[in-house]
Amino acid sequence: MATPTLTRPAPSTTTANNPKFRQPRKKLTVGRIAAIVVAAFIAVLWLIPFAWATATAFKTETDAAAPDVTWLPPSGFTSEAFVKVFQDGNIPLWTWNSLYTSAAITAITLVISALVAYALSRIDFRGKKVLMTVIIASIIIPPPVLIIPLFYQMLALNLIDTSWAIILPQVIHPAMVFVLKKFFDQIPRELEEAAVMDGASRLRIFTQIILPLSRPILAAVAIFVFIGAWNNFLWPFIATNDGNLLTLPVGLQTIKSAYGIQYAQNMASALLAALPLIVVFLFFQRQIIKGVATTGLAGT
Amino acid sequence: MKQFESLTGKQLSRRQLLTGSALLGGGLLATGLTGCGGAAQAAAVQDIGFWHLLSGGDGIKMQAMINAANQANPGFKVHPTVLAWGPPYYTKLAMASAGGRPPEVAIMHASRVPGYAPGGLIDPWDLDLLAENGVTASDFAPRIWEKSQHNGKVFSIALDSHPFVMFYNTDVAGKAGVLGSNGQLQEVSSPEEFKAMALEMQKVTKAHGLSFGYLGSGSQMWRLFYTLYKQHGADMVLTPGQPMKVDRDAAIESLEFMASLFDDTIAAQAGDISTGIAEFARGGSGMLFSGVWELPTMKKAGIPVDAATIPTLYGTPASYADSHSFVLPRQLNVNEDKRRDVYKFVTDVLKGSLSWAEAGHIPGYQPVVQSQAYRELTPQIHYANAADIIAYDPEAWFSGSGSDWQTYFAENVQNVLLGRDKASAGWDAFEQRTNTLLSRPNPV
Amino acid sequence: MSTSTLSRPRPETLRKPGSRSRSNVSGWAFATPFLVFFLVFLVWPILYGFYMSLTGKSLTGANDSLIGFANYAEALADGDMWRSLGNTLYFTVISTVPLVLVALVMAALLNVGLPAQWLWRLSYFAPYLLASTVVSLFFTWMYNPQLGLINEFLTGIGLPRVAWLNDPNVAMWAIVIATLWWTVGFNFLLYLAAMQNIPAQHYEAASLDGAGAWRQFFSITLPQLTPTTVMIVLLQILASLKIFDQVYQMTAGGPGGSTRPVVQYIFETGFTGYRLGYSAAISYIFFGLIVVISVMQFVITRRRSA
Repeated sequence: MATPTLTRPAPSTTTANNPKFRQPRKKLTVGRIAAIVVAAFIAVLWLIPFAWATATAFKTETDAAAPDVTWLPPSGFTSEAFVKVFQDGNIPLWTWNSLYTSAAITAITLVISALVAYALSRIDFRGKKVLMTVIIASIIIPPPVLIIPLFYQMLALNLIDTSWAIILPQVIHPAMVFVLKKFFDQIPRELEEAAVMDGASRLRIFTQIILPLSRPILAAVAIFVFIGAWNNFLWPFIATNDGNLLTLPVGLQTIKSAYGIQYAQNMASALLAALPLIVVFLFFQRQIIKGVATTGLAGT
Repeated sequence: MKQFESLTGKQLSRRQLLTGSALLGGGLLATGLTGCGGAAQAAAVQDIGFWHLLSGGDGIKMQAMINAANQANPGFKVHPTVLAWGPPYYTKLAMASAGGRPPEVAIMHASRVPGYAPGGLIDPWDLDLLAENGVTASDFAPRIWEKSQHNGKVFSIALDSHPFVMFYNTDVAGKAGVLGSNGQLQEVSSPEEFKAMALEMQKVTKAHGLSFGYLGSGSQMWRLFYTLYKQHGADMVLTPGQPMKVDRDAAIESLEFMASLFDDTIAAQAGDISTGIAEFARGGSGMLFSGVWELPTMKKAGIPVDAATIPTLYGTPASYADSHSFVLPRQLNVNEDKRRDVYKFVTDVLKGSLSWAEAGHIPGYQPVVQSQAYRELTPQIHYANAADIIAYDPEAWFSGSGSDWQTYFAENVQNVLLGRDKASAGWDAFEQRTNTLLSRPNPV
Repeated sequence: MSTSTLSRPRPETLRKPGSRSRSNVSGWAFATPFLVFFLVFLVWPILYGFYMSLTGKSLTGANDSLIGFANYAEALADGDMWRSLGNTLYFTVISTVPLVLVALVMAALLNVGLPAQWLWRLSYFAPYLLASTVVSLFFTWMYNPQLGLINEFLTGIGLPRVAWLNDPNVAMWAIVIATLWWTVGFNFLLYLAAMQNIPAQHYEAASLDGAGAWRQFFSITLPQLTPTTVMIVLLQILASLKIFDQVYQMTAGGPGGSTRPVVQYIFETGFTGYRLGYSAAISYIFFGLIVVISVMQFVITRRRSA
């Protein structure tokens, strides 16, 4: 918030700001070689947990629990852990639960945040300043301090162990309202004036002029909210107990007790849980990185 | 409970809320929710949710009993959910019951019922319906049936009692010359005799006489402590708003005796539960203090193992135990058909609990215990007498298996067992901790 | 920073469509959907939570009565609460430093202009896309005292085994390492974006003056990044204060409460111990702490940018 320059998504006028983060080719100097070596070292370190989990997941349980810790198991690699995990049948259900709750959270968040952000950006109404201040101030409220009253509220509404209990409290993102408002502020007003002359309603202007121009920021906000909802643990963990409703992160927490010490199956489950977002990331890397960089500083 | 009744009036606003957000979320969302939230199955087979906390060998036996019940009853299918033993399980069970959509039936340690029944988190059993399914009060040992009551109602149906017992290696015991003429361990009746016997065994194993791992486990320390404490004939009473009533001398004597065992000769000075089990399983000691549920592990280890209740060292036979019992978590809307199925399921499991006995537990259902098949189970039959001397945890909303109270016990007593603190100091600190809990508002 | 020269659209409306009162109506109409959620699921819980903290409310519905500030008095004398708050603060301090420094190093390395940028970004950032549970499963397995990869490596180079999650002196560091692996990619991206916003002219001028890469980094890059660094540190502190997931999943707060953060204590007093009212009081003490820290940060930022 204190650094509007970083949250500004509009194409910059400065020459150095290359949207692809790409730098001009440079010569291989000693310094650059050293940088490559260090970067590669860190990258390897960062990939080891994935690699080790993968190696374990493709071992037999016996090999995984063998006291000789080795990358190449004596009885060879096998996919039996994955088969067992699939037979157990919970991972697809949890993935689906995560998918539709996260999609719902993202959809509701986008709609209500864009609407209020538009009002804050364009409409001059009584109480606007107060509203803006309240919304910005609420950014500092950390979700964990709300778990007790929210749980009690869900009890009172009889919503515990329903999908609504997961979704409803997760759709308020004051920081995203702020990000959207900043973007709307930069859309030249001239674009709307013709429509106003024609007597178009506010809603029409919003849906037909503002929203189409705001696709990049909407995508960025959607990505940010979706990742957050997909990976959220604490609130879904509190809001649901029913095995049929668990989201992926919460369901995964129960496998340790269900499988006992089945290391290969544990790792297979973890990898299957990790897979969807990693695959999405591989396809939409640039958008996700831009999205995170754009919305990130506005508050997590 | 009044809180819940007064809140049902908010149904309307809830519906408005749902409609409003469904509109916002759009059609995709709405289909997603109804597609998954509701049960899509046809009417024929009732799905019964069942939570338990049994893992390892117990978990496999339980699964087999569930499968048997499912097969015998085409009208319902029991779906088990396994959660981690201890606080994770009991926390979630309380939250689910408070929320009103819990599983239809769940396993609970009988010692935890005082934390659930008074607050209305579990429903009482209907004795008539039980009788219709062929199970009545006379089918349970008196101590166990008594434990299932709260305020005159039956809140838990005991599947078993699982006392804390002593396993011993008959090979080691034979070589040490401490076996009686019946092939079972000689009776000892004082701490000194017990230690002498353990030392004889230590001469045979050259390692330790006794295995008992306790590091980091309040449950484990508590099980042995409470057995010894109750052997003094002493009581322990926890009443909210009052200091705990306890025989301090008996408590301290019990702790001192425990600490004196961990001298690296009789038993290892410091080790956790699994270390102790592993040591006994490879013949590194003659005796193991442990729950009966370790029996399958010992049989699998291939050592010549027998078992008995923990010797009476202070005059009064007593054995710490708990019971896995069935409870009915409170439902927002009770489905009478499902309830009926639950009674059928539970009584079926009780009647088939011989296989549960094979895992070491003493069945709660007496017709099984009195059956010829059970009498032929060894070493189970050698500690079956425990059912008459078992001591459950003192009742309080915070006590019982896997409770925080046992954690507090570990926090204050572990250093005593490690020889770093005086027994009186450790006990007094724990007593004070307990009194703090008792002085706080009672939340049930 | 450079982009502050951007021509901003004129601040307020040139011409307001419709009358003032119509604007009032449409303004609030646009705000209403958000406001409904905001009031019901944020404002109401905040207010109601405070009310709860003044009662003996329990999960079972018992003891509903108002008891004034007794819960707060009890909490302030509760050693376990202070210990868990201490653990949270300790984690915040020892995690923020590496989470900012490593992110800076990663971004600086990439900013040198390495080939195959996507590959580096993928490997540094990918863990951030994982759920906490996945991270905990990975690391619990790697930290396994007997079968874990890390101890295998340590014994391989002649070092003793470490009981990563079972040693009270080490467990918090084990959590920090897992957290670093998990979330540093986020700070890294923010740094990278900021670095690539530094105008090339700055470097060109310095190069003509004969400044080497190191000099350029310390005399141009770092100073230019100051506002970003301030923001990242602030956001990281706030994120670290909320620590719960990894600890709950990997150590459950153990061994012996040595890693239990205050959020877990809130969870336990409220749900394991049923005492929602007491737990709400601890939530508010924690909230107060966060507000104080936020205000301090705000004051510091203001002074810097002034």
